[in-house]
Amino acid sequence: MLPRVAPPGPPGRGDAAAEQPSPGAGEAPGDADRWETPDQAEPPSLARSAGTIAIASLISRITGFAWKVMLVWVLGIGVANDSFNVANTLPNIVYELLLGGVLASIVVPLLVRSQDDPDGGLAYTQRLLTVALTTLAAATVIAVVTAPAFTAIYVDSSTDRANSELTTAFAYLLLPQVFFYGVFALLMAILNARNVFGPPAWAPVVNNLVIMTTIGVYALVPGQISLDPVSMGDAKILTLGVGVTIGIVAQAAMLLPPLLRSGFRFRWRWGIDERMKEFGTLAAWIVGYVLVSQLGYIVTTRVLTAGAPGGMTAYYNAWLLFQLPYGVLGVSLLTAIMPRMSRAAADGDDHGLIGHLSYASRISTVTLLPIAAVMTVVGSSAGIALYSIGQGAEGAGAERLGQALAISAFGLLPYALVMLQLRVFYALKDARTPTLIMLVMTAVKVPLLYLCPVLLAPHQIVLGAMLVNSLTFVVGAFLGQVWLWARLGNLRSRRVLGVIIFTVAACALGVVAAVGAGMLVPGTLPEIVEAWISLLVQSIVGLGVSFGALAALGLEELKPVTSRVSALVRRG
Amino acid sequence: MTDVRSEGDSVGGREIAVNDGRSEHGGVPRTSIRASRGALAPGGVVGDGRYRLLAQLGVDERVGAHLWRARDGQLRRDVALTVLVGDPADVTAARGAQRTLERAAHASQFGHRNVARVLDVLSLGDGIASTEGLLGIVVAEWTKGTDLVDMIGDGPVAPATACRMLEPLAEAVDRAHNQGLVLGIDHPQRVRRSPDGTVRLVFPGPLPNGTLRDDVKALGAYLYLLLTGYWPLEHGPAAIPAAPTGKDGALQPPQSLRPEVPKELSALAARTVEDSGGGGVRTSAAFLRVLSQIAQDEEHKAYLRRTGAETEQPGYTEADGTVWTTRRPVTDAGQRKKLAFGATVLVVAAVGIIAWIGLSLISFFSDEDAAIGPDFNVAETTQQDDEDEDSDETGEGNAGSGQEPPEPSLVEIDPGHVQGYNPKGTGDHPDRAPNAIDGNPDTSWVTSQYKQQLPALKPGTGLSLTFEEPVELHKVDVLSESTGTEIEVRTADHPNSYLDSTEVLGSGEVTERETGIELDEPTTVTYVMIWITKLGGPDGAFESEINELTFYTSE
Repeated sequence: MLPRVAPPGPPGRGDAAAEQPSPGAGEAPGDADRWETPDQAEPPSLARSAGTIAIASLISRITGFAWKVMLVWVLGIGVANDSFNVANTLPNIVYELLLGGVLASIVVPLLVRSQDDPDGGLAYTQRLLTVALTTLAAATVIAVVTAPAFTAIYVDSSTDRANSELTTAFAYLLLPQVFFYGVFALLMAILNARNVFGPPAWAPVVNNLVIMTTIGVYALVPGQISLDPVSMGDAKILTLGVGVTIGIVAQAAMLLPPLLRSGFRFRWRWGIDERMKEFGTLAAWIVGYVLVSQLGYIVTTRVLTAGAPGGMTAYYNAWLLFQLPYGVLGVSLLTAIMPRMSRAAADGDDHGLIGHLSYASRISTVTLLPIAAVMTVVGSSAGIALYSIGQGAEGAGAERLGQALAISAFGLLPYALVMLQLRVFYALKDARTPTLIMLVMTAVKVPLLYLCPVLLAPHQIVLGAMLVNSLTFVVGAFLGQVWLWARLGNLRSRRVLGVIIFTVAACALGVVAAVGAGMLVPGTLPEIVEAWISLLVQSIVGLGVSFGALAALGLEELKPVTSRVSALVRRG
Repeated sequence: MTDVRSEGDSVGGREIAVNDGRSEHGGVPRTSIRASRGALAPGGVVGDGRYRLLAQLGVDERVGAHLWRARDGQLRRDVALTVLVGDPADVTAARGAQRTLERAAHASQFGHRNVARVLDVLSLGDGIASTEGLLGIVVAEWTKGTDLVDMIGDGPVAPATACRMLEPLAEAVDRAHNQGLVLGIDHPQRVRRSPDGTVRLVFPGPLPNGTLRDDVKALGAYLYLLLTGYWPLEHGPAAIPAAPTGKDGALQPPQSLRPEVPKELSALAARTVEDSGGGGVRTSAAFLRVLSQIAQDEEHKAYLRRTGAETEQPGYTEADGTVWTTRRPVTDAGQRKKLAFGATVLVVAAVGIIAWIGLSLISFFSDEDAAIGPDFNVAETTQQDDEDEDSDETGEGNAGSGQEPPEPSLVEIDPGHVQGYNPKGTGDHPDRAPNAIDGNPDTSWVTSQYKQQLPALKPGTGLSLTFEEPVELHKVDVLSESTGTEIEVRTADHPNSYLDSTEVLGSGEVTERETGIELDEPTTVTYVMIWITKLGGPDGAFESEINELTFYTSE
């Protein structure tokens, strides 16, 4: 829902340790006072391991998206799914506020540094785990107890269109995830610092599979979720709530064997490491970022839950669809550029940094703009094709979801640029400017969101909310560019703008072609069949014409994409 | 943006030609003792024929390291070679060279823009033929720029310039030391002044026994050299005069040689180079901290001088009254910041306007959508199917059934807004009013519960609806289970008009779940009141519930 942005950790290294157990891993060393540092004499092939990780995170994104689609099939786009979605984001929010920012900005760098300690970082890690686990456990208990308060903050039940009892019931079952989210993030950080990348990348896939199984069981359990009165003992509510929480438990548990294999033994060790204090202000700004983005999120859910039922679900799923192209592009093309950018920033090489930023912006433009253009055309069809199955076919929710996607698709490139600029700011060790930009974005977003119910009918609010969300990213992208310019000087934006204009022209052709192709689809077919045909035909025609026009214009930014595609074709 | 340089230009303009016979500067002919050196001559090749030597730029006599600019024949680029010359039979020399090569290989992991990247390390048998008479070669990327020795030949540089030149190198040393790497910068011919005006390590390859402390001392020595033109460490190249010492053998501080050198800078140089005595600067971090501080102060002073304080120490300004700096002038960044603020405000305002237009467009387009859109119809289809027989009473009662409306000319129309309507007395659940028009028959608006039937307590109660623009209203469908409820449809020219100034358009009684109220004649209205004059429910607990109101206009 909210842009999950972790500041980039240390540039990733290889993960040979993930594939081959390190020497002496089977037996715990008799003397547990020292933790062998990972063997760094032979740095493993970066390209190979980066490839596996990219595949793992791609699969986890796709399976993660899949179970949310399946959830619509069994729950529909209505009050029940809305309640689940709000409740299932709560643990994420609590975790993010509590640990998310701090973990990425402080704990990870210190974990790497602590390996130079005489004990190989054992004491630091034990102390970290002791403090973090205790805090997490306490926070989880408090969060579960105060679940009704969370519901009251995030759900606006004044219009009586939302069902806050159901949200609370789900929240009781889902909030225990906070603890396991934290455990997973901590263990992942510890393993990454020791060059173990495989299991942390695959664990979310396990989570997604568990949830898919849960949804299958849910569909088999007889009965209906009773909305009035809501009962925690309802078999369906229990299945969904417990199952989804077990998914996260499994995800965290996946990381225990590799941790033990690395020779780590846990022991309670209290106290705060002195080194943590140096990072105080950086962490404060990052936590500020999370807090501000939460404000925007709270207003979004309140406005949506006050609107027509199903709005929250439509918004959430439209947002996931919206993000999907960026996610795929991010892992495949941008991962190569990110570390180079961080290194240039660390070396104080502004020139190189600007070059990488400009290149990454241009690559994002040529790949994402055509996709956004096609999304605008096929949005409704995509909504119906993916979601109008099972319970999702009830009402017009699936179509509205698609419309929300179409209306907001223009925000895809700005969104990618905001993410890119964020990396640059963090690489420059500037956590303050992103937070201030986020503040401005939220200041724009909140009044506009409150304008939605005034100008729009209840069932249209979700369209307005997605529109506002995309516009917020436009603001963010502009501000990011402007403030990076203020800091670094000429960003070679003119070249980026040139590429954007070229690409927009190519996309215009693509849109015309896609709309034309859409007219050829016969209107006599069943709705879902027609939607699938339109989706496929229009996507292929739209993307084909857009990219074809770009290739004909001979844009050099397209080369990495075309060479990748042709390599795939040759291999296949 | 524009760098203001004075000295930089005069020196930087003198780029070295490829083969300029610089040996007279490098001092090689005078100092070399190695017989094998004869094999190294411009035009010759080393490294199994891969590297063609172009020009010798110096020699570090301590390890017999000859510093050459060469051409990589395979990749066709220039490289900087640190060629370790020695007799392979000499075990100590060979072992030392091996150590140097290992250290250089480690340093290849290290990246900083003031340290030339190590590209390759060649050792005997691995890139070097045994006939070459060499122990090893460190290959690094080539750096354009000026020889430091040449630069000093033109005289010492200004203190502020010296700080700026050295600061990035000190940073590099600090970072390398944090990673436990020795850079081996302690020879003035191993570094050069790169085109951006800073000192860069060009010929890596630390001494076999070089320590972190040697690097730090070298930083002090460079500062000393730049300020005075003398080299304060041992084994410097012959081209640079050694620093004079006092009677007690202690180093003379730079200030005593050049009075215009600021005291702090002079002390920093001397204390870093000196091994003995308290208060010495021993770590790169300490050196960098002090240097940065002084650099900042100097820059500030220079800035004050430049911005018009001509009276202040006129003799101290540099030749053409400008200050040499690698940083952008302060005013420029400030200017940009102001512009950025302006842009922020503009963007926010523009997006606000765009959003308003966008939302209005959504509302405009989807209104048509909603009129024929499936969402309302789907919700109501089920109830209306079993009430078809009822249509004689309600007239065109089933316009919403979607499949086959009896009177196709009637279409649904959405009121934009609803509120409670209670001209006399308090409202009845006004917060639930939107439920009556949300398209969801499961949610409802309900009156308060009354002990007595209307109009005992008040004349009536109801809802007031507002259309976004005037519409021609034909009919209102009421979905309610409160049978017995009597409803009037009224209109007025204000949503909160007095009851007296409203006009009755039609009325009906709720007898079935779905009741159609036909207006006496179609009327163009903006404000409509649904006015309950009689409540449903049992005696003593009178109340009426309205699940849904649907309004119809003609097509």
